[in-house]
Amino acid sequence: MIRFTLNGQAVSSDVSDDTPLLWVVRDEFKLKGSKFGCGAGLCGACTLHIDGKAQRSCVLPISVVAGKAVTTIEGLGSPQEMHPLQKRWAELGVPQCGYCQSGQIMSAAALLSANSEPTEEQVEQAMAGNICRCGCYPGIKQAIMDVAKLSVTENEAVAYYTPKSHEREA
Amino acid sequence: MSMTDSLQETKVDALLSNASRREFLRRSGIVGGGLIVGVSLSSCSDVGPAIDASKGKFTPNAFLQISSDGVINFHNPRDEMGQGVYMGLTTLIAEELNTHPDKINVVIVDAHPDYAAPSSGFQATGGSGSIRDHYLPLRQAAANARELLLQAAGTSLGVAADKLRLQDARILHGSKDYSIGQFADAAEALPLQNDAALKSPGQFLFIGKEIPRIDAIAKSTGTAPYGIDADMENLHRAVVRHSPVPGGKVKSFDASKAKAVPGVVDVIEIHTGVAVVAEHYWPAKKAAALIDVEWDSPKELSGVSSASIRADYEAAMRSDEGEVYVETNDAPDTGAAEYTLEADYWSPYLSHSPMEPMNGTVRIQGDTAEAWAGSQGPITVQGMVTRYAGIDADKVTVHGLFSGGGFGRRAYVTHVGEAAALARITGLPIQVVWSRETDTQNGWFRPASLVNIKASLDSDGIINDWQAKRVGANITPEMVAQIMPVVLPSVPQGVVNVASGVARSAHDGWIVDHSSLEGLYDDYDWPNKRIIHKSVNHGIPTLFWRSVGHSYTAFAKECAVDELALQANIDPIELRLRNCRNNPRLANVIRRAGEVYSKGDTENSRFLGFAAHTSFQSHVAQVAEVSVANNDIRVHKVTCVVDCGVAVNPQIVRDQMSGAIMFGLTAALYGEIDIVNGAVKQSNFHDYPILRMTEAPEVDVIIIDSAEAPTGVGEPGLPPIGPAVANAVFRATGQRLRDMPLRLA
Repeated sequence: MIRFTLNGQAVSSDVSDDTPLLWVVRDEFKLKGSKFGCGAGLCGACTLHIDGKAQRSCVLPISVVAGKAVTTIEGLGSPQEMHPLQKRWAELGVPQCGYCQSGQIMSAAALLSANSEPTEEQVEQAMAGNICRCGCYPGIKQAIMDVAKLSVTENEAVAYYTPKSHEREA
Repeated sequence: MSMTDSLQETKVDALLSNASRREFLRRSGIVGGGLIVGVSLSSCSDVGPAIDASKGKFTPNAFLQISSDGVINFHNPRDEMGQGVYMGLTTLIAEELNTHPDKINVVIVDAHPDYAAPSSGFQATGGSGSIRDHYLPLRQAAANARELLLQAAGTSLGVAADKLRLQDARILHGSKDYSIGQFADAAEALPLQNDAALKSPGQFLFIGKEIPRIDAIAKSTGTAPYGIDADMENLHRAVVRHSPVPGGKVKSFDASKAKAVPGVVDVIEIHTGVAVVAEHYWPAKKAAALIDVEWDSPKELSGVSSASIRADYEAAMRSDEGEVYVETNDAPDTGAAEYTLEADYWSPYLSHSPMEPMNGTVRIQGDTAEAWAGSQGPITVQGMVTRYAGIDADKVTVHGLFSGGGFGRRAYVTHVGEAAALARITGLPIQVVWSRETDTQNGWFRPASLVNIKASLDSDGIINDWQAKRVGANITPEMVAQIMPVVLPSVPQGVVNVASGVARSAHDGWIVDHSSLEGLYDDYDWPNKRIIHKSVNHGIPTLFWRSVGHSYTAFAKECAVDELALQANIDPIELRLRNCRNNPRLANVIRRAGEVYSKGDTENSRFLGFAAHTSFQSHVAQVAEVSVANNDIRVHKVTCVVDCGVAVNPQIVRDQMSGAIMFGLTAALYGEIDIVNGAVKQSNFHDYPILRMTEAPEVDVIIIDSAEAPTGVGEPGLPPIGPAVANAVFRATGQRLRDMPLRLA
């Protein structure tokens, strides 16, 4: 039995220790925003946060997250209450197919938490692990730079966001 | 029933009473009779109406339903896979209803004949045709609905309909306004209207305007549903082991180790390989790797490798045996050839690699079934369930979902057939999920191609002789084998095999598959031209891949033209314009992009390359700004000029151009599927790399202002980028790269 925090809520899972976190989050806790892309930590579609740091959940055994705080795209914000990055993503119409965007946004959120005023080059480096087959890179980069330029007050959510609890569905 | 018969029946409908006429029209699929989509195949079958028109709802056609509470539901006939039809087609409806696209509820449709694409006759999405096909029909459908609502409101309010206006889902009368839902019942009772006047471009509120796509919030918050997100009580997951060599069959297998993995329910041989069914994905994935399978591989593929395929293509190129002359013009050689060129251009097999791996979910209950999958045609999903679960097509409900990328790949949904077979055998709801490795190795590929260009230039810079010969496999015969079982699910496999065999020999002999050669003979004037095809097919499965034949023909054509210009020391823009008198819209984008090119090489050690190409009726010219260091090619900036007629949503047009450039750069810089002993060598993104943000250029898209009918957008941005980069690399290094991907020695 592995106990951890998922989007601010204490949870536990009794799947086998080697099960990647991605499948636990998606199929046991029904949070479908984190996506399966490569199963090898190569594309970033499964990116979520563990104790605030971006991690590839498709290769991360569930045993590793015991006692840690996991945040998924659902914990970052919702359509009704979007994180500043999600809001900017939507305003700019960044996504095309959209499948990789949860992972892109989670990588971007972790970057801005650690470095609220990144240079373009730092953005590119931080996002290099996230593939977008539709090639939305210019929009992704612009959205991140735009949010980084927001005033400190507007941007408070970026540096200090609190994961919102997400009700576990039956 | 033939199409002529059903057309004759439409004449009879004048004799029918209003109510039954409406029902007849619905049942026959001749919804909104004035629509170009008028006659559909459903008049031959027994399917019910596309939308359940229960009382209290205004359902003027298969695309629109307005509820009594005023919600406008748009039943979107095309599949959203990133290209923007969810926004673009909704914009067409929104325009004629004077209602913002974000106030329209978009419904992803089930399989139904009323949703066949006008150009193909199938409920399929592809060929960059969605906006082109639906620009007038969907606007007409919405305009008809608008007029009926205004008439119904006029009668109900006791005022002339022309004193009313429909706006933002309200009926406005002076300072008063009413929900359109109030008039839904009355509108439903009116005679159908077929030819309401469309708005003029000057009245457009949404078409041509900068409006962010309406699916962006869902796609930015992880709430947009994709096929892989389908879930339900007791859903079991399955992972299938496929033959490494295409067409291989299971000879024998040992599943004892696989069955010992906790959570595994069963290991089952199905029509495509050996499947592990488990309670969750992870045990299924682990167990699938533990099955010992002995495969019976097709003999003709043993020993086939990328090198042997290339050698066979080169031998075919040097021989005239089995050539098919596609287009030839016997005018005598009039010009003195000042400069001549003969060169081979090579393009390898490529994988589509959409971010969402192939997956499909099927649940059977009694004699009905439901299927969940993102696809490029819900009828293919339905047909797979009918064929492999034995459920009648009209008892199969398809839940359409967003696709995490298509690029042609989701035209075939073998994975849904696997889920259907396993759901039938186990009695469980089943989701089949392909791993990235399976997605990379066991699908269909952009065909490898060798294109030879022989051309000569006269002293006036006119390309007076142009011969292009392409050697490679055709896609269409494969399509017969894949699509026939889904559109005619009860046809025995033997008949499918015979039909695809006939298609193959036909295409390899006397019928030319246009998609194999498109782009080699349309763009320039070429007074003397000869276009030749030689089919060589090793049996590697091939499929449409973003921009199809143009993805390799533009490379040959635009590099060859550039090589001729350099030989003759003529500016490459000028040379193209001299040879582009019969294609004025292509000439126009060449001129516009040429202004950027002619400013010359920009920053230190950066070089420009130019290419232009017409595809899917759109015209695109691109300038690539490239540098080379340590044999590493870096593309810094791309300027793209596109003429696609009316740009329904300019932002989506820019995004599609930019996205196609990134997709094309992946192919130009890295893309290569190698064949080793008949099997695909690459397996995941470590050895089939995709362009990343650190490698992505800045892209500047210029859209030509146009009142012409809209043309393709999803694909035409791709063909010019490869040759534009190759042409820049020559200027940077003096090396003429004629093999894709571009690699410096």
